[in-house]
Amino acid sequence: MVQNKSDREKAAAIVRDAGGQIVGRTRFQKIAFLLELAGLGEGFQFEYKHYGPYSEELAAAISSAAILGLVQVEDREASWGGWYSIYTSTDKSADIVNQQRQTLAHEATKIGAVELELAATAAYLNAFEGLQDAWTETARRKPEKASQERLARAKEAYRRLLLIETPEKLPAII
Amino acid sequence: MFSHAFEDVGKKLNIRMARHEQVSDALIRDSEISEAFRELGKSFSEEVADLIKQSGPGNIYDAVVSSQFDADRLDYMQRDRLMTGVQSSGIDFTWLLANLEVGTLSTGVDEEPLGEIETFVLAPKALRTAEALILALFQLYPNVYFHKATRGAEKVFTALMLKLIALVRSESTKATGLPDTHPIVKFAREPEDLGNVCNLDDAVFLGALPLLMNAEDICVKRLSTILRNRELPKCCDIREHLIAEIAPKRPTTNEQRNELKVRLEELEIAIEAQLNHWSDEKSTTVPRLLIDRTEREPYKTFQESKGPLNQIRIRDMSGHILDMAEKSPIVAAIETFKLFRVYFADGDQDAKLAIERITNDVLKGGGHGTK
Repeated sequence: MVQNKSDREKAAAIVRDAGGQIVGRTRFQKIAFLLELAGLGEGFQFEYKHYGPYSEELAAAISSAAILGLVQVEDREASWGGWYSIYTSTDKSADIVNQQRQTLAHEATKIGAVELELAATAAYLNAFEGLQDAWTETARRKPEKASQERLARAKEAYRRLLLIETPEKLPAII
Repeated sequence: MFSHAFEDVGKKLNIRMARHEQVSDALIRDSEISEAFRELGKSFSEEVADLIKQSGPGNIYDAVVSSQFDADRLDYMQRDRLMTGVQSSGIDFTWLLANLEVGTLSTGVDEEPLGEIETFVLAPKALRTAEALILALFQLYPNVYFHKATRGAEKVFTALMLKLIALVRSESTKATGLPDTHPIVKFAREPEDLGNVCNLDDAVFLGALPLLMNAEDICVKRLSTILRNRELPKCCDIREHLIAEIAPKRPTTNEQRNELKVRLEELEIAIEAQLNHWSDEKSTTVPRLLIDRTEREPYKTFQESKGPLNQIRIRDMSGHILDMAEKSPIVAAIETFKLFRVYFADGDQDAKLAIERITNDVLKGGGHGTK
């Protein structure tokens, strides 16, 4: 019998499909968001928050997954004085994994955390707030992050994600 | 009185305008408030609305509006204590403000550094006062905000509103006991209309209770009578029961604490599912069980949804700016306040026995197979 996956299993599956490890909570959230946008997600609802699209349910689910051992979480001190988390999958099952989902998630793990935040934010503003010039609005909302160089890198990274075949096309904001 | 429970109704029915932030935003951008703001500049109302809409403070000014040390919290903690009469949970507001400074803080995203931002910071002499502020909130949760009677009434309110909206939407307004023109009916029909939302307040709801008590619909009649006559449902505190059964003595090591967390989580998930199943199966009109399972953190460690300016910062004697949870062992040790309660009607012996049986069965089974 096929059983419905719980939210924590869905959250843990994102880590597994991204290559088994995701560095950073922001990266984890943005990867999950891009999967949703591309029609490869788990049904989590996202809202605009401090670091762009964010799902409270997903944050609770991954925390619950960690408590129950579905993922391991290691907290490390960052060079800037704060903390960041590394999620590692403990899933050794041979579940059939969607190749497109794996490719998109894994490609997104290679993007810098700030650039990924900028790209996911622009995609969110276009898809959910209907903004045509989503990059300009992203820069307006995140002045401390959206330097010309970073925006260029974010756009380039997003361009690479757009090349991946997905059930739903990511917003064509480039 | 019912504003938080009303937001819960909105969440369940996906009503955008049930969120107070959404209502404030619409009022500031387009109402007599925006008219008044126009005197201060053409885009002033938009700027104010943008600031309030921000999720997590983006700069030090936003932190006054929304952070763990914002003006709202410093106000409501004192006001709610006064109005409820609790004598604990007092805060030394004067000392906190006298020791409030502006400092700079390094920030980043995940492992990547970003640069420096301005933040509020408390001087070293305010350490104990800041600890007391956080501990006061820790005590306000069980004593005031999550008091079992208040939560029980809120659960009844939520169930009643959900039923009313369902009846109106299925063209059965007559069964609610309310006239077609009643603000609750108008809201149920067009919940995204700002005017309809603004017409709802505690007075409107409480004034509607005598009408609802004469409703044809049995569920509406019963739930409104419960609120009007204060015949609040009985509460069974499942979490307290579970803790008493599996860990009457507080765990002393981190490993033991984590084990307890996992065990409680597994048991609670299993019990909640079975209670919901029982209630769905056994309820004909009024829900036999109203389940309340939630949690609140009196002090949140850094959250990616809010950003670095959401934290309460304190300067140490060497000038380092630290998060309160890094400086204070008491704050670092504060655990999330969690509750898992179930409400049932006074005299519903079957429901009471079912709660006991389900809880004990799951306890005996260990809550396994619930992942």
